[in-house]
Order: sequence, then structure tokens, then C-alpha cells
Amino acid sequence: MSEIGKLGIVTRYEFLKHLRRKRLYVILGITLIAELAVLIILPLLMDGYPENPLVMAAMLTVGPGLATIGAVFFAGDAIAGEFENKTGFILFTNPVRRTTLITGKYMASCIAVIILIVFGYAIMCISLLAIYGEIPVETAKSFGLCLLFGGSVLSVTFFFSAISKGAMGATVITLVTIMVVFGIVESVLMMAGEPYWFLLSAGGDSVTIVFGGMELIMEGLVPSGGMGGMFPFDYEPLEIDLAAYSMVGYLVIGFLLSLWISKRRQLA
Amino acid sequence: MTEAIIDIENLTKYYNKFLALDDLCLKVAENDNVGLLGPNGAGKSTTLKILCGLIRSSSGTARIGGIDIARKPEQALLHIGAIIETSEFYPFLTPEEILGYLGKLRGMKGNGLNKSIKEVIHLVGLDDWLNVKIEKFSRGMKQRLALAQTLLHDPLVLILDEPALGLDPRGVVEFREIIGRVGKNKTVFFASHQLTEVAQICKQVAIIDHGRLLAYDSIAELEKKYKSLERAYLELTGGYIE
Repeated sequence: MSEIGKLGIVTRYEFLKHLRRKRLYVILGITLIAELAVLIILPLLMDGYPENPLVMAAMLTVGPGLATIGAVFFAGDAIAGEFENKTGFILFTNPVRRTTLITGKYMASCIAVIILIVFGYAIMCISLLAIYGEIPVETAKSFGLCLLFGGSVLSVTFFFSAISKGAMGATVITLVTIMVVFGIVESVLMMAGEPYWFLLSAGGDSVTIVFGGMELIMEGLVPSGGMGGMFPFDYEPLEIDLAAYSMVGYLVIGFLLSLWISKRRQLA
Repeated sequence: MTEAIIDIENLTKYYNKFLALDDLCLKVAENDNVGLLGPNGAGKSTTLKILCGLIRSSSGTARIGGIDIARKPEQALLHIGAIIETSEFYPFLTPEEILGYLGKLRGMKGNGLNKSIKEVIHLVGLDDWLNVKIEKFSRGMKQRLALAQTLLHDPLVLILDEPALGLDPRGVVEFREIIGRVGKNKTVFFASHQLTEVAQICKQVAIIDHGRLLAYDSIAELEKKYKSLERAYLELTGGYIE
């Protein structure tokens, strides 16, 4: 059998594992609750929905958070779990390349993350259609960037899973790196007026900023309009194209590193 | 000796500075059942893990059916069915699913695969558990399932590392009977601490300690020389008390 055929088998059964675990359904449930919360609470606080559909689209964009949580929970134990739980003693003694097994796991996690993102954007589109009768064209760009962000977070998670002894460690270190470390560095660089497009967290921001940036969102939400002097510093707007290239880098390099490390890792 | 199906040549393995295997040489002929004996830390599991491609040797070669496991692991692993340490499976899958997964990875499919799954599940006595999630399985049941996956593709070589671990007394007897039966047409390389278990399954034993081969002979010869297998083991591994 060809490695492509084996890759298909690995992907199918790894995805079956995701379906059997409750994580996928829990995150889908959280997505639904988050979107409903925006749809219910926003008109109560603002006396109606924002006039600009782009502002509402930005408010309903839960994709980056979803992609991060989904990728981390689906992929944190993908490699580390085989070593920690010793399931690798069964899996790795089969005549399949380690790289095929890891790629299959990556693809299965990708499918699970895509399902989450599609679900989030489906709710967004239905809501926008119901409220405004239209879906802004920027939604498609945001969706594409979100898929790219999901893939890059997945690659980073695979990298940490490949170097970690345990699945919990891989999960925590990925979340801390993306949400805390990158977040803090991004804030500092933004305030200092320095470029920050190369940070993965900036890639997540690009998914929302594509609807018009922070200025538009604040104008749509704050009755007095405008940023109102909210940023008393040399604020550096994100360059979305560069952020997208950066995400491609994280996606490719993270994945290749995880393959290389997994191939060399021994199950002692 | 007929052609060796397991051929270990000058195998050395370091874990950092710890020498686990020290220039180990061992050949197992086709259809021989060989027990690998040695105290804890002797290098038994390390040897089996290298043969299964799970770890790399520091130097030396290990071949299965003439194929170097380090150079062509996928080809060498085609001939192997292995149980290494206590077996763990994905808890959310059923035996039918996990055996289907592993069987397909080995190129099995369709009715042939389904038939093989039912046969090996019946062989290990898990018929009623075929579609139950493995998370509900006891240690012994997982070990039975491990034996089922080992036999699924009818391999030439069985590599077994303490395979009866976790089984109840009845399970140990059944396990021994199964290995004894299927082992007649296969090469079995079997690491264990249980001398009686090894003696009932294997005709030959290799005794190792500190990663070195101390003896490799038939049990009958060792019993003749040392009066019993137990005495041979204790004397060779330096633990014999008068």
C-alpha cells in the first residue's frame, strides 16, 4: 500500500478519535453560547444592533479564539500522548512512516478545527443575513485568514507536542505562548509604534481587523464615536498581508519541525 | 541452525552515559521459540524495542528477515507482531475499530480483514467485547487485545515483552496456550521474568545481564549443565545462593 493510502487511513481513524471525544462538541457548544451572548447582550446594551454590518461582523468573529482553543485541544496530545500514554508501542510498531502518522494526525486535527471555524462563521453569516439582509464581502477574507490562523496554531501546537513529555504540558505551553507571551509582546510593540505582524497573535487579530480595524469597531460601538483618545501612544496599525505571510511561516515551519522531531524521538 | 530471521550483531545502546546493551550478538532461527531472560535492567526491553524500531541503537545492527530495522523500518516491521510493555490503546475506540485501523495500515481490507478480526478476537476470548469502548477494559483485557493485534496480520515473528503482565491466573494459562499453539508456525522472541512461563513456551533461552549475552542454548542443555533453568539463571546472573 502506498504512503498516501496509509495517510488516508490514519487521517480517517484519527478524525474518528476526535468525533468520539467530547471536546469537539463542547467547543461547538461554547461557540454557540458565545455567538448567542453577542446577539442577545449587544442590543440590550446599545439599544439595538450597530448600524454598520461590518461592526456586527467583527463582534461576531469568534474564529481566532475558536481556532486557538480547538487546535490546542485537538493537537496538544497528538504526538506527546503517544509517548506519555504509551499508545505509541502499538501504533509505531506498524509498517508506516512516522511522518505519515504525524501528517495524518495533523490532517485530522485540521478537519476538526475547520469544522469549528465553519460553524462559527455559519452562525455569523445567518445572523448578519437576519439582521442586515447582507453578508459583507470582508467576511470571506476574514474566513480565509481564520483558516490560515487555525492551521498555523495547529502547527505550533504540533511542535510543542513533539518536544513535550506530556500532553498537558504541550497544551499549556501552547496556550501560554500564543495567548500570554505573544499577546504581551504584541501590546508592547503596538504601544511602542513598532511592527508586530510577525507575531502569531497578530495573525489572530488580522481575522477581525479585516472588517475595518479598531477605529471602525469603536466608532460603531461608542455612541460618541471614534477612539476617543483611547490610545495615548504611537499606535501601530497591523499590516494584514504581512500577518498572513507570517502565519504561513508558522504553519510550514511548525509542521516541518514537528515532523522532524517526531521522527527522531525514541519511545524508550 | 537454519537461516536467522532475527539477527542481532554487536548491538550497543547507551541511554546518555548508561550502557544498556553491550555489543550484544544473537541470532534466532525461523520458527524457533526463544525466551529472553535477565534481571531488571539487563537490556531485554531495550533489545526488543530496537527490533521494533521504537529506539535506535548506538551502534551495531538488528535485522528482521535480513532487513536492517534502522535503515528500512517499514519493510522490517511488515514481518513483526509485537507486544511491548503493558499495552495501551485509544480509549474512545472499540476493539473492532482499533484492529480495523491497524489491519488497514498493514494493507488488510474487506472481508479478509473482518474475518481476521473475528478470529483473533475469538482466540483471545473477547467476543462479547468487540464493540465496547476500550476505556471500559481491565488491564488483562487490554493485554488480550494486544495479543489479538499482534496476531491479526499473521506475522512471521512475534516479539513479546512480558506479555502476560496484568493477566489473572486463568488468563496466564490461556495466554500460554495461545502462544504455544500459534508459536509452532512462527518465530517467537519472548522476554519474561517468569522462568516457568518461558520454559513452557520456548525450547531455547538467551540469558542476558548488563546488556551482555551470558548464555544462549536449549533449555534441555542448560538444565543438564546447571541442574535446572532456575540455577542456570541465578548462577549466570550472579544471584545464586547455595
